[in-house]
Amino acid sequence: MRLHKKKKFDYIDVIANTVMILFSLCILYPMLHVLAVSFSEKGPILRNEITIFPVGFTLESYTYFMDHPQFFSGFVNGVWYTVEGVFANLFFTALLAYPMSKNKLIGRSILMKIFVFTMYFGGGLIPIYMQLCSMGLYGSEWSWILAELISTYNLIILINGYQAIPESLYEAAYLDGASDFQVFFKIALPLCKASLASIGLFYFIGHWNSWYSAMLYLDDENKYPLQLFMRSVLIENKETNMNPNFDQNLTPIGVKNSLIVISMIPVMIVYPFVQKYFVKGVMMGSVKG
Amino acid sequence: MSNVNEKPGSNPSAKAATRNQLSKRSPKGGTNFWARLWAQRELMLMLIPGVVFYIVFKYLPMYGMRISFIEYQPIFGYDGSPWVGFAHFETLLVQQWPLFSKLLFNTLLISILSFGTSFPLTILFALILNEVRMPKIKKGYQTISYLPTFLSGVIIASIFIELFSVGDGIINKIIMAFGQKPINFMLQPWGYYLVYIISGLWAGMGNGAIIYLSALAAVDQEMYEAAEIDGCSRLKRIWHITLPSISPTIITMFLLNIGSLIRVGADKSLLLRNSATIDDVYMFATYVYDIGIRGSQTSYAAAIGFFESVVCAFMLITFNYIAKKRTGSSIW
Repeated sequence: MRLHKKKKFDYIDVIANTVMILFSLCILYPMLHVLAVSFSEKGPILRNEITIFPVGFTLESYTYFMDHPQFFSGFVNGVWYTVEGVFANLFFTALLAYPMSKNKLIGRSILMKIFVFTMYFGGGLIPIYMQLCSMGLYGSEWSWILAELISTYNLIILINGYQAIPESLYEAAYLDGASDFQVFFKIALPLCKASLASIGLFYFIGHWNSWYSAMLYLDDENKYPLQLFMRSVLIENKETNMNPNFDQNLTPIGVKNSLIVISMIPVMIVYPFVQKYFVKGVMMGSVKG
Repeated sequence: MSNVNEKPGSNPSAKAATRNQLSKRSPKGGTNFWARLWAQRELMLMLIPGVVFYIVFKYLPMYGMRISFIEYQPIFGYDGSPWVGFAHFETLLVQQWPLFSKLLFNTLLISILSFGTSFPLTILFALILNEVRMPKIKKGYQTISYLPTFLSGVIIASIFIELFSVGDGIINKIIMAFGQKPINFMLQPWGYYLVYIISGLWAGMGNGAIIYLSALAAVDQEMYEAAEIDGCSRLKRIWHITLPSISPTIITMFLLNIGSLIRVGADKSLLLRNSATIDDVYMFATYVYDIGIRGSQTSYAAAIGFFESVVCAFMLITFNYIAKKRTGSSIW
């Protein structure tokens, strides 16, 4: 059917494409505007002339953070917490998901219920906060990394990933005398790279973009991750409007937007490589749960 | 769809089959419980860290919810602080009724507004995107649509505060182009809600549409072709084929989301509110944060959180029950 009949371009195509182009513009405009302002000169910014193209290209706004100690510590902390967090998340989620993917596992269905229950009911902010503080985790990034070590949603994605591996592969390995640990490291993990990449991406986005937990558990400004430093600059205006020593050659908005652009660099570096895993991951999560 | 129990494990014949396989590997050759457990010793070892995590960081805090029933004083700790029973709940529901009703109203307002806009618009978006028939262009639209998912809440809040600001925001430029006075959105409660909802749509629609698009991709193409031969117009095909095909997904997503309707996180509100709107836009999560973490009314804050959790669980169970009765699908 579809091969010999060329589809006509009818009014629905026109409507669909028009709506999608408008929608894409709505998504892209704020981002391009941020980019344009960050590269623009002071005059055009103050005269409010910038749309999506920089006016009078300059890197001046970016120089503000070049010798800013808290920006540097924030960037390094943010990257470090993300690396620590993602590796801890992935390791423990992968380790738990493997036995949970075995139907023969004793107590599997009751354990699954116990895990899934936590998706819908939790202690709430205060009890969790009190407990982490009493465990001596206040002031350390491990408070929130440990408290969110395994996301049940991602656990379910990975269990489904393991179960998608043909049973015959496992059986062959067991017949050759492999132990469960050997099968886990040599067969299950390598064959689940796509699922691992997807949940790793979810964990990565979560850690790099998180600021709320850091605000709850950190009091030392030198330990702040980048997002928390950004909050003080972008939302509380601590560097710009509140700062009497603010460099008059710069504009608050230019400085703020250049910070947004810098903070997106790690995400933009990984985006092209991981973008396809994102869609896969969301789809895997929708199968069960 | 979405039934966690419906794993192959609940199938008795599959269970028997795995048990037989297992008995072959079991060193003692028996099929009794201890032999099975011994055969699974390495799997059990792998379970330990995860189970410890769930106990310590998920279930212990639930036990910690008893803080709502005491008057917590840091120097005495949990066990030394005086037991007050339901006093905090009484304070909340009786003495502080105006405050409580405001918290409940604002929480429901924000969740109903968010859900009421994002749920239908996401489906509409997926349906329209599905009608784009050039695969590469369609993929391009989709890639753009979920780009904001990768941005942090801080960035999104900052971008939208700037868009809606009086000095440099494009929204006020448009308003002024129509000869109207500029509006300082962020200083008004309704402006706060508007920015909250619109930024939520901007950041969440592409991400939310992925599930519907994958359901749409699974619709049998032959149905469309048969309908086309019978002279069915494209609009009619959308109405009579596409929509019914994805309605199970729509119903499941609806129930999944409506159960947790009043569970609204504090983080976005903390970013968007300011000294002008703070008192008007308090909701459960932000109030708990302000009096429990920043303030020192730990037990009272925990009681409010407890109340919220229980209402949330109640709603979830109710809607899940309705779902099971009506559609046969449920989340557990």
